[in-house]
Amino acid sequence: MKFKLLRIVLTLLLMTAFCLSAIPAYANKITIVTTLTDLADLARAIGGDLVEVHSLATGVEDTHGVPMKPSFVPVMNRADLLILVGLDCEHAFLPALMEASKNPRIQKGNPGYVDCSKGVVPRDVPKSTDHSEGDVHPYGNPHYMLDPVLAKTALSNIFNAMATVAPQYIAEFTSNRDAYLATLNAKIAQWETKAKVLKGVKFVSYHEHWPYFAERFGMNYFGTIELKPGIDPTARHIEELTAAMKAQHVTIVVREPQFPEKTPKRIAEQTGATLVTLPIMPGGVPNTETYIKMMDYIVNTMVAAVQAGK
Amino acid sequence: MATFRIFIMLSALFLTASLSYGADLDERLKALEEVSKQQQKVIEEQQRLIEGLKQDLNKLQAGEPQKSTETQVLELKEKVDQVAEAQTRTIPSVFNPAIGFVGEAVFSYRSKGASLTGSSRPGGFDAFARSVELNAAASVDPFAKAYIVANASADAATGEATFSIEEAALQTESLPGNLTVKAGRFFGEFGRLAYIHDHELPFVNRPLVLAQYIGGESRTDGVQLNWLVPIEHYVSLTVGAGNQFGGDVPPNNVGDFRRAGGLNYWGRLSSYVDITPDISLEPGVSGLWNPKTVDRGGSFTQPDGSTLSERERRLTGVDLTLSYKPLRDNQFTSIIWGTEVLYSHNRYDEVNSDGLAFSRDIGSYGLYSYLAYKFHRQWSAGFLYGFVEDAQDNTARTYEYSPFITWSLSHWNQLRLQYTYTNHNAVSGLRPDNAVYLQWAWIIGAHSHGWQQR
Ligand SMILES: [Zn+2]
Repeated sequence: MKFKLLRIVLTLLLMTAFCLSAIPAYANKITIVTTLTDLADLARAIGGDLVEVHSLATGVEDTHGVPMKPSFVPVMNRADLLILVGLDCEHAFLPALMEASKNPRIQKGNPGYVDCSKGVVPRDVPKSTDHSEGDVHPYGNPHYMLDPVLAKTALSNIFNAMATVAPQYIAEFTSNRDAYLATLNAKIAQWETKAKVLKGVKFVSYHEHWPYFAERFGMNYFGTIELKPGIDPTARHIEELTAAMKAQHVTIVVREPQFPEKTPKRIAEQTGATLVTLPIMPGGVPNTETYIKMMDYIVNTMVAAVQAGK
Repeated sequence: MATFRIFIMLSALFLTASLSYGADLDERLKALEEVSKQQQKVIEEQQRLIEGLKQDLNKLQAGEPQKSTETQVLELKEKVDQVAEAQTRTIPSVFNPAIGFVGEAVFSYRSKGASLTGSSRPGGFDAFARSVELNAAASVDPFAKAYIVANASADAATGEATFSIEEAALQTESLPGNLTVKAGRFFGEFGRLAYIHDHELPFVNRPLVLAQYIGGESRTDGVQLNWLVPIEHYVSLTVGAGNQFGGDVPPNNVGDFRRAGGLNYWGRLSSYVDITPDISLEPGVSGLWNPKTVDRGGSFTQPDGSTLSERERRLTGVDLTLSYKPLRDNQFTSIIWGTEVLYSHNRYDEVNSDGLAFSRDIGSYGLYSYLAYKFHRQWSAGFLYGFVEDAQDNTARTYEYSPFITWSLSHWNQLRLQYTYTNHNAVSGLRPDNAVYLQWAWIIGAHSHGWQQR
């Protein structure tokens, strides 16, 4: 008697499991979590109404210092895709959040784990990862999104991942991506024209955010106020930097809004350089809500600073 | 007969399966058609691209000048160089398992001797290599990871280093239903700071109430199940069972045969609320129960000549952490206010001076509350207040007041200066004590930013 009951229960369970597994995957929107706002903007551009995108960062955070909030965990738990910058950019907050999310789909090695640095050749790869070099860029500089051409690599990685998890929407994703690419390419051409005045212009910044940007627009990235990535400057480092900036005619000091204004301002005053505040992801300063608006803002601000300095 | 039944069962199963499939078949076919149409489009698109490329190739072969060839070669060369460079790097975390070392030295001066303060370290000047820790972690297979924390610290009297395994546990990574199982030796989840290693505490010493009621770190040999409740809100539930709970508490006297009541059972429910984007609140409740402690740690003789031996251990905790971590510049400023209140409600067998035996329940409570203010990328300062009633005698009370200042030269190198004033009431028989601590902690090799240390 007992066994009979057990068998009935087992059969019912199997039936339920089968029916559940037959529910089509495209019944709901695709849930996407991105670490930073630039990636969220690209994912929305490709996915349109078919996706629901959540960014862990709101835009004002430091790319390496998004606070590890438990409120991120439930949304990561049901995410189909986790889109990240990679190159250990998110080392301080993402691994623990991924573990807490208990979502096997978005763990490394699965299709839901989307490392956008795939295909990007990293710059400034340290020869050693001895911590005497600081720790935040062990695989090379992760701030490639500030080069709009490399943003296209990220766009393509995001597209591929979305096409893999939701092949039924390939047509929509493709046309959305192509439309975005067309806009972005036109913008890149426009930025390159505008940025002609930036060629050879020397600048420093607080954190090592700008090597890819400098390379793209022919600027000369002179150095950083930080001693090493993630390590605050010493008085001696500031002294040396200021002297070198004066000798080499460095005309722009970039301050990312995550860092206090005091030191960059003092350095700008001492060297006669122009101080500008530039966002490192969309939303970092007002009127930079999208990736394209942010790049517009950065290029325009840099150009204005060069023209003001003349 | 049995074969027949199995046959019927299988047929029924097959029938239901095909039925449920059939109902779905139309929809699936439609979806498939749609997919293949779209794939056709992609293929056409790719063919167009290929045609375009062929034309470019023809132009090239026809000898049309390519203005950027030289630049392209240069770019390519640079990229190759960078890739070659990337090959030569070494990264600690690529070793399998990832290995890290933690060292921690505590230099101190205490105004009273150990007999007057109840401390395990001597009074006067002391230098103590408290943590000499080896951490190793790696995935076991696609389904689980494992980690080991081994510690060797010097004995106060002999100076000999004693080696112990603080944690060595396996943790599942792919259980369905939002579940995680941890098994082996680990720090069980009770409250907020009991499972944090010494060198990661926000101050030098573990608060009195945790040291006394839990026994320092919440070490256990056992199994723990964690469930992330599948709702929009973050709610985490943990339950566990194990042999011993607390690194410094003596194990139960289990005797010849242990029943289920001889084990420790614990649980914790915690949640999280964003009050504003910058301010958050994390509440939690915890419980620990050991139904049959069976004379854990032997019997205590009380001043009136009676003896107490523990028979049942019960501990309840409530914790609350209020954090101000501004989104924009939390690396430069933050405020954390953390509080835990613990209620210990133990049952003892008491034998009074006349030799009469009876059962006695003793309830006592303790708490700690601290405020830590980060005012610079490298500097933070704070204050810890603690209070505890003796678990065997709730009239004996101890208070601690500890201002501290922390200098983090980097992630891996941290100095902390702390002053602690400890006071006891008359019943305790202990004397007030002033102490100054200088703690220096460092990490080399792999390190991770853990969930519990957030
Ligand atoms: Zn960086």
